[in-house]
Amino acid sequence: MGAAENNLNDLAAEALAAMRGAGFDDAQVTAVHSKLDEVCVAHNEPSLLRSTEARKLMLLGLIDGRVASTEVARIDREFVQGRIASLFTDAKSAPQDDANAVSSSQHARIMQGPQEGDRELLAAKTSELLDFRERETPKMMLDEGFTRHSWSRTHTLTSRGSDLAASVGCYSMSVFGTAREGNKSSSFNATGGTSDELSSRPAHEYFGIAQMLRDTERQIDTRPFGSKFVGDVVFTPNAVSDLLGWFLGQLGDTQLIAGSSLYKESVGQKVASPLLSIKSRFDAPGVAAISGDAFATPAVTLIDEGKLVSLAPTYYGSRKTGIKHVPVAGGWDVVAGATPISDIVGGVQRGAIVGRLSMGMPAANGNFSGVIKNSFAIEGGQATYALAETMIAGNMAQMLKDIVAISREAIDGGSQRLPWIRIGNLHFS
Amino acid sequence: MTYLETRRHELRKRRLLMVDGNLTLNSQTTDTGASARAYEGGYWGFASTNDSGAAGIESVTQGARRNAQAMARFGKKDTLTLPDGTYRGEHVFKGRSAIGQDECVERMAELAAWCKQRYPDLKSTRLVLSDEHHSKQLTTSTGSDVLSSIQRALCYITFTAIGSDGAPVEIMQSISGKGSLADLDLSPSNLASQLDELHRHVRAKGEAVAARGGKHTVVLGPELAGMLAHEAMGHPCEADLVLGGAVTGGLVGQRVASDLVTMIDVAHTYQGDEVMIPVYADDEGTPARDAMLIKDGILTEFMNSRETAARMGLKPTGSARAYLPSDEPLVRMRNTVIVPGRGKLEDMIAGVDDGYFLMKTGNGQADSTTEFMFGITLAYEIRHGKIGRAIKDTTISGSAIKVLQSVDAVSDDLYWNCSGYCGKKQPMVVSMGGPALRAQAHIGGE
Repeated sequence: MGAAENNLNDLAAEALAAMRGAGFDDAQVTAVHSKLDEVCVAHNEPSLLRSTEARKLMLLGLIDGRVASTEVARIDREFVQGRIASLFTDAKSAPQDDANAVSSSQHARIMQGPQEGDRELLAAKTSELLDFRERETPKMMLDEGFTRHSWSRTHTLTSRGSDLAASVGCYSMSVFGTAREGNKSSSFNATGGTSDELSSRPAHEYFGIAQMLRDTERQIDTRPFGSKFVGDVVFTPNAVSDLLGWFLGQLGDTQLIAGSSLYKESVGQKVASPLLSIKSRFDAPGVAAISGDAFATPAVTLIDEGKLVSLAPTYYGSRKTGIKHVPVAGGWDVVAGATPISDIVGGVQRGAIVGRLSMGMPAANGNFSGVIKNSFAIEGGQATYALAETMIAGNMAQMLKDIVAISREAIDGGSQRLPWIRIGNLHFS
Repeated sequence: MTYLETRRHELRKRRLLMVDGNLTLNSQTTDTGASARAYEGGYWGFASTNDSGAAGIESVTQGARRNAQAMARFGKKDTLTLPDGTYRGEHVFKGRSAIGQDECVERMAELAAWCKQRYPDLKSTRLVLSDEHHSKQLTTSTGSDVLSSIQRALCYITFTAIGSDGAPVEIMQSISGKGSLADLDLSPSNLASQLDELHRHVRAKGEAVAARGGKHTVVLGPELAGMLAHEAMGHPCEADLVLGGAVTGGLVGQRVASDLVTMIDVAHTYQGDEVMIPVYADDEGTPARDAMLIKDGILTEFMNSRETAARMGLKPTGSARAYLPSDEPLVRMRNTVIVPGRGKLEDMIAGVDDGYFLMKTGNGQADSTTEFMFGITLAYEIRHGKIGRAIKDTTISGSAIKVLQSVDAVSDDLYWNCSGYCGKKQPMVVSMGGPALRAQAHIGGE
């Protein structure tokens, strides 16, 4: 890292000094410089080239155990000084809370992924995607999509000596659309992800794009099951992401502080099928191994063969609840299993392959019901027709226990690498 | 160059979260920038920067033009003739003087302490206060020059109780309005009756029974009808989604709802009053007008941008909106409402022998097929015309067209809220409104 990094470091250092000068007991400052290039698709055609560049400062200050934070997009000295002064007033008025603190003595220097975007590569991958659609899935309308390079350099300093810098670039693709034939349409479907490169394969071989497009074409004609029953689901990675998101929420500050987490007292206990392991992936494309509260994030295992290994409170949440602090960044790996997808589907007598779960927030106890979209019926071990107007109901926590099989195949979406998962005992209606 | 727009855009947001009296988030953010978007040779180019001064505008204007020109590498493309609409004016909401973060914290702490004292049986109380203020100065090559501001404030109050089975149950009340947090009255005395009701409901949920899955007669409370308007038929009536293959594309002029149903995406004024998210000109400088989506049950028209209006030969509605300073405008809803009818809610419930009264929703999703879903966080059985037991959280779904065609009663009241975000490529502040509806719908359950 060269002069540009020094400028960012100088900006952060100057802001930190200003916060100390303003009277804060402790402070955390992050300076950010980000750039993005994006080729957008609309209705099966290239439509827009979008370029953005931004700088911002994120400031957090503590005085007498009281905290306030702010984020500003103007970084000129006079404006920042004014904002620091008002931040001091904001913090002084906050309730005193001994759990508030900033990180100390953390150090990181991370450079990851492509630091410069290749616009010609973005255009070439967009063309490949559109050519594939036209050639292989012509009923598919790509309503919107993009091929993007994004880059962000951050430098975080705290008054307790933490100094963390990251420069992360990545490519990403997103595809969203509908298949249509005559007057009939499929449901929306979408996929996408981030990668350090887009050069090693054709565009449609990233992030499950080809399968999503092919599956969606098969979902124009749908029908309901037509009866209620208890059966199995095979969650695709897209649906597994919902399950993972719910689980991560249970491990975080809000649920732990409120005492409503279903897992607060469960560390060391079996909370899932022994087939399930969830591990960090803090070196994933587009991810920097730094937490939002300025800690370096070593690798962590959340669930190991069904046993809950760790909760994930922030530093504040840890000090508030007495639970061990586990700093986390944004990348997760639901560890792939040993069973081919075909065998997983072959083991289901009656159920569904669930492409997407359209549902409200699960209840506090984990109960949920939702419409399964982009999904296929399974009958006698065979994936058959595409489903319409079908709901499933169950409990998120129970689903983790009712995992019957995990596929050896997985889709690497960057921040999440997810397999297919078969789960038993869901109520279909 | 066929078309150019430049936008100076400032977005100020504030968010505070208090969990059982602990202030876990106390944040204000300001995002400032300038952007330009150019249409040239059939392609769009967009560029944005933090610098909203003259140099920034010049830089992004050149950047947007270069980007549009660079898209020519995809080959020659027909250039659309975009509609000409022009608007010049200023629309800035004049609410109460903004309050400082200190006063927000004070009000929040007062409310948290009041809840703790009044409802000692609750496991947890969470409060969120938030407001956001978008200020946009837009100029276009068609001659538009608009200063517009959109401000909305909200408060979420979530009660968590322990149910009879020992598991937590929770329910949230949202309070929202135009303006900043200064414009919301969050005093305990003002909220007491609402919160007493919320407490009664969360206790009832503690004893809730599972819904019977399947098709039922449901009375959708006004809060849900707004969501139905937005999710079920609002999204499928966005012209970009119609071009993308939504089934509504072939249904203009056809019956998609009972003749009791009229649905409008309101631009800025409803029955003489300015709505919560007033859009007088959109982020393409197009004069905004109401989009009559469904009139007396007949699908009438779609919301559009300059480009989608040109592609589909439609009259512009002024529905292109951008969320962040670095975002390009997309076709978005503004204030989507199902127009009230003549029924009375109590009569609508009394007319149901066996069904459900659905009162609160957490979120919803739309689909190109018009098959919608929303989560139900508060509902009761209706038996022999009377409200019965609370039911556990569930989901309602169905074909919006079939559900709206089954509507046999529409109440005469109207509930607006602007407490959520609509999600597309970008988030967006919108409002939604509706009366109570009685219809047939599919409920998730055992």
